[in-house]
Amino acid sequence: MFPTTTKFLVIDDFATMRKIIKKTLNELGYTLIEEADDGATAWPLIEAAHAKGEPYGFIISDWNMPKMAGIDLLKQCRAEDKYKGVPFMLVTAESEQKQILEAAKAGVSDYVVKPFNSATLKQKMEKVWAKFSQTAKVA
Amino acid sequence: MSAAQVIQNPLLDKKLINAFIDGVKMTLSTMAQTNTVCGKPFIETDFKLRGDIAGMVGMVAPPMKGTLIISFPKESIFLIIKNMIGEEYTEITTDVSDAVGELTNMIYGSAKTSLNQMGYNFEMAIPTIVRGDFVISKTQVAATLVIPFQLENKSEFYIEITVS
Repeated sequence: MFPTTTKFLVIDDFATMRKIIKKTLNELGYTLIEEADDGATAWPLIEAAHAKGEPYGFIISDWNMPKMAGIDLLKQCRAEDKYKGVPFMLVTAESEQKQILEAAKAGVSDYVVKPFNSATLKQKMEKVWAKFSQTAKVA
Repeated sequence: MSAAQVIQNPLLDKKLINAFIDGVKMTLSTMAQTNTVCGKPFIETDFKLRGDIAGMVGMVAPPMKGTLIISFPKESIFLIIKNMIGEEYTEITTDVSDAVGELTNMIYGSAKTSLNQMGYNFEMAIPTIVRGDFVISKTQVAATLVIPFQLENKSEFYIEITVS
């Protein structure tokens, strides 16, 4: 599993969902958690963290947000070499095949469908870690 | 519009009612470990918004248009939030509004997925929250399907679906 020193960015336009995800991450032992309420406000945080040499090790984003959707933020991240390998999970009420395919094509690490419980989020994170640690070994 | 015409509307069929009932039950049991008892759905021709706060979302599946409203009296939304994030409220605040928005988003998203698997083509939308004294005007002839739910503290909340 990701080390407890991993720095998270949680993005959702609803503070309630950010609280739920943060609570779950805290229960898993993670304390380095920053928040943004939209893809548009998240992007400068991602850039600033990288510039400071303290990049996010895991991004968890809602899909459906008013100014910049999570899928667009994902595409923007994957377009930059420096963010290509950052684990990026989409959390969304969208669970239709066309959305899943779009997210997979854009390079999502995994996908959590709302409503979900903490066990599901943990399980998805473990799956992302399995892929991430394998890629890191190869690189 | 006669009752017969309303019942024939595809948005008011049994599958639609069940999709919303399942959406409510699954959302509240998964996110808030809260069980709900569903009352008998009914149709009313004059729209009445119930409760102290409500989440609204436009349901668009061309050529059909509708509105989903989930309205909560204080007692029910305070219990759901307490069960969901462990925070206790005694007044309607912006945090309570936010929770209503997220619940509306999840319930609509869940029902929309089921309905689209049945052949509808509903689009996702971002909810709006209304609170306090307000009036919602209807611009087109429509009926409202009301589905009441009861929580363990006997408080109620309502799903209201208006179609045109």
